[in-house]
This record gives sequence, C-alpha cells and structure tokens, in this order.
Amino acid sequence: MSAATATPAPTYAGGRPGAGRRVLGGIVRNLLVLLVLVAFMFPIFMILMTSFKSRADALAVPPVWIFSPTVSNYTDVFKLYPFAAYLRNSVLVATLSTLLALIIGIPAAYALARFRFRGVNHVQFWILSVRMTPAIAAIIPLFILFRRFGLTNSIIGLVLIYLTTSLPFIVWMLTRFFEDIPRELEEASLVEGSTWFGAMTKIAIPLARPGIAATAIFTFIFSWNEFLFALILTSTEKSQTMPVAVTLFIRETGIEWGYMTAVAVIMMIPTAILTLLAQRHLVQGLTMGALK
Amino acid sequence: MQVTRESALGQQTVGGLTVAPRSRSTPPPLVLLLPTVIVLFVLTIYPTVYSFTLSLNEWNMSNRLATWTFVGLGNYTNILADSRFWNAAQVTGTFIFGTVAVQLLLGMGIALLLQRQVIARGLLRTALLLPMMTTPVVVGLIWRFMYNPTQGILNYLLGQVGLPTPNWLGSLQTGFIAVMIADIWEWTPFMVLILLAALQTLPQEPFEAAAIDGASAWQAFLHITLPLLRPTIVVAVLIRAIDSFKTFDLVYVLTNGGPGTSTETLSFYTYKWGFKFFQMGYASALSFVMLIMVIIFANVLILVTARNRGAS
Repeated sequence: MSAATATPAPTYAGGRPGAGRRVLGGIVRNLLVLLVLVAFMFPIFMILMTSFKSRADALAVPPVWIFSPTVSNYTDVFKLYPFAAYLRNSVLVATLSTLLALIIGIPAAYALARFRFRGVNHVQFWILSVRMTPAIAAIIPLFILFRRFGLTNSIIGLVLIYLTTSLPFIVWMLTRFFEDIPRELEEASLVEGSTWFGAMTKIAIPLARPGIAATAIFTFIFSWNEFLFALILTSTEKSQTMPVAVTLFIRETGIEWGYMTAVAVIMMIPTAILTLLAQRHLVQGLTMGALK
Repeated sequence: MQVTRESALGQQTVGGLTVAPRSRSTPPPLVLLLPTVIVLFVLTIYPTVYSFTLSLNEWNMSNRLATWTFVGLGNYTNILADSRFWNAAQVTGTFIFGTVAVQLLLGMGIALLLQRQVIARGLLRTALLLPMMTTPVVVGLIWRFMYNPTQGILNYLLGQVGLPTPNWLGSLQTGFIAVMIADIWEWTPFMVLILLAALQTLPQEPFEAAAIDGASAWQAFLHITLPLLRPTIVVAVLIRAIDSFKTFDLVYVLTNGGPGTSTETLSFYTYKWGFKFFQMGYASALSFVMLIMVIIFANVLILVTARNRGAS
C-alpha cells in the first residue's frame, strides 16, 4: 500500500517525465472534444427532439426529456398547410436550376480550361465577380424585369434567377476540374480522327465526373437553401419554396414550434445526405477552388 | 483517281498531326462559351446597367402611376447624409469583424484539437459539417427557438446555474450578440474544416527539427504552424468576410433588424427600401454602394488566390 502510493511520485518527477501529464492532457483533450461536439450538435438535437413532441411537451418548462414521441407534427404540416406543394417547388427548382446550369456551364468550363484565347482572364474574373454579387443588388433590377415579363411567382422565374449564382459557380469550379485532367487523352483521340466535340463528351466529361457530381451537389444545396430571391419573387404556394414557407410560421402571435421543427428536419435531410456524398470535395467547393 | 487522292490525304492526316486534325479539332471556344456569356449577360450586365440608371432616378414602385424622376446623383448624396445607412454600415462591419474573428479563433482551436484526436475523428468531422450545410433560415429558427426568453432551453440552462437570463432577441444589449452567436455556430465548422485539411498537409520536418531544438508546443505553433497556414487563413477569412457582408437570412428570421436598428445590416436595410418602402431608386443606389464594396473584396481574393496558385 505504502509502496504503491510512493511509486507514482518519483516516476512522475524523474523516470518518465510527462507521463502523468500526458494522460491528464489526453483526458482534458477528450473532454474538450466532447464539449465541442455537444455545442455544435445540441441545437440540431433539440430540433429533432422537438419535432417528435406534442404541442404541450414542445414548450414545457422545465423541458421534457422523456416523452411519448408522435409523428403528428409531420403529418399535420402536410394536412393543414400546402407543404406538399412547397416541397414539390423546392425539389423542382433545385433540380431544374442545377441541370440547366450544368448543361450551359460544362462546355464553357471546358473551353476556359482547354483553350487559350484573348480575354480568357477577363471572362474568368467576370464570372467570379458575378458569383460575389450580393443577392440584394441582383434582385432589385431582376424583380422589376421579371415582373414585366410575368416571371414572378413562377417556378421558371426561380430556376432562371438561380442561374445568376449557380452558373458562375459551376463554370468556375469545373474549369479547375478540367484543368486537372491531363489533355493527352483528348489529343490522342483527336489524332485518331475524333472531333473536339467527341473529345469533350466522350473523354473529358466522363473523366471529370467526380468533380461534376460534387459541383452539382453544391449547386443543388445552394438552390435548396436560397431564401432572399425566393422571398421576393414568390407569393403563393404555386412557386414558394420550403425556406420561404417555413418562415410563414413566424407570426405576431408566436411560432408553431412543433410544425416548424418538423419542416426544419425535412429540409435538413437532403442537405445532410448530399453533404456526405460530396465530402471529399467540400473544401474545394466551399472556397471556390481557392483551396483543396 | 479520286480514291488515291483520298488515301493520300488520309496518310497526311496520320503523319502530320498538326495539319489535318487542326482544321477539325480547333474548336471555336466561342461556341462553347456563348450560352454562358449570353445567360450571364442577360441576368447580370443588363440588369446592372438598368439598376444604375434607376439609381439616378426616384421611383416609388408601389404607386402604379408613378414614373421615374431623374435626380442625378441625388440618391448617392442622400446616402452619404443618411445616418441609418451609416448605422447599417457599422452594424455590418462590426458583424463581419466579430463573427469572422471568433470563427477563426474557435476554428483554429477545434482544428488543432481534432488533428490530435484519434478516436472517431472522421465521425466528428462529419458531425461538424451539419450546422454549415443547414438552410440558413432554419439556423435562424433553431436559435430563435432556443433564445425564447421564457420557454427557451438557453435561459432554462442559464437559470439552472444561476446566471442572468436576458431577453436575447428583444433587448438592445443582446440582440446583436444573439445574431452573431447564431452565425458563429453556423460557420465555425467552415474554419475547422479548412484549417484541419491544411494542418494535415503540413510537412513534418520543421516540427521534428523544432522538437530536437527543444521548442515548446506553443513556440512550434507560433513560428511554424501559423506561418505555414497563413495563405489558407487569408483565403478562409476573405471568403467568410464576403459571405458575412451579405448577411440577410439570419437577421430576417431572428430580429427583423431590431431591436431599433441594432441588427440592421446593409443587405437588410437595402431590402427595406426596395421591398418595404418600394423606393426603388434609393434602393438601387444602396445596392450599388454594396456592389462596389464587394468588388474590392473580390479583387483582393483573386489576387490572393493567384498568389497561392503561383506558390504551390
């Protein structure tokens, strides 16, 4: 007993310096990691939990941790509000704008990556500055013009306006991805008599597929999350998307938290899945290719 | 005779790679670029010119009969004298500086923590992505839920440990801080992710040399890690600053610019002039001022990116 208590002290002081501190450091570090995890996950956990609570449990003080879960919030938002329409609008707008931006943007990115021509840097700079433009600056003239052409409160209007951000993003990102593909394969196929169009569609695009997929995912998430354009351009369930619809729960009288959290969870599911799929290219996507 | 000529041509094609293929393979970059250029022209250049013209006029959109009245640079001189504009500029500036600084410090700390983490590092990294990819409007609502002064979880927890329980979104002292906290929660993971990726590619040799020389962990961080991470930090900070400059969604959901004008950012203030007061001329002028600021930011970012690419 006395031997046992006596041994740690000399060990710590002499034999293996820092061994005790290292163990302590490891514990502290793991506790800190746990703290970080709780801080960033707790709000999401709260939303998830509240979405399965009854109205009485949702705002109970002190909060109820153990309750009988119900899916009534999920079924109610579709029964009492036109969330089926909002969801359809969101899926349609995000999918169509991504597809359209890809069709228009892929050839442009290929041209910028493969061919040196006068003004190539100007085009690139222009594309990047479009991407940086504050949404509020873009929406003022576009709202007036869209109103004149009857494009407000329509899916097509939203799909078009999302091109202002998704197209420059896709062109900028895919230019980087095409630049990373060695051009020898395309040159070989040109020598064998293929056209430049064939070289692009049969060789370069398939090779850039991982990059295209990741970029498409980012574009989809952007359109899925977008709020300001949709807020200003849409006015009914004919074209309102989920981010706009969910703010309709904010009223002077208060917020229906059960419904709101259920919609929030529905909105988070696709982004969470897609983020996981695009994880490898996340740093590139988030920094416009400035970092890998 | 024709047949032989054709075969001769064919041989020439294979022999001189440059001659025959070029005529067919030199693709007109213009054809590939044209759709993008047209779309972006219609959606950006034309509206920008339109918007600038509008900014030289006065026009109340809510009045069907109102027409444009030319006022020259009147809107711009009004902006300079508009104390609420300067308030919005100050709110935006403080917001950018405050959130990005905290995000960088927290992000660096967490990245260093995770770099040494052995257990479940991949899982932790994935979990941290969630706040960043959550719809910003939903982030706002999540925090509004937690900030609820009487029924929110935040004040419940604060009350349990005997701390003050402020009316987070409703008081002048805390409204701005509350919006900043939500933004910091959402975007600190961005910094973590980028810094962690950069930390993992750092060379090991300088650290080994420093360890032999008896440098402390803090000295190694200050004199090796930080200088090596500098290009990454600059890009990450600039990107966050540009995004933060446009902050709208969080303000709309959390405080609607209030209490008073304490959380009224430039985006939100411009939105109010355009889509609450319907003064489109003044709103256009405001948006132009914002545009010029962003172009300055963007130019810095491009310069830095070019330098990074040149260095690597």
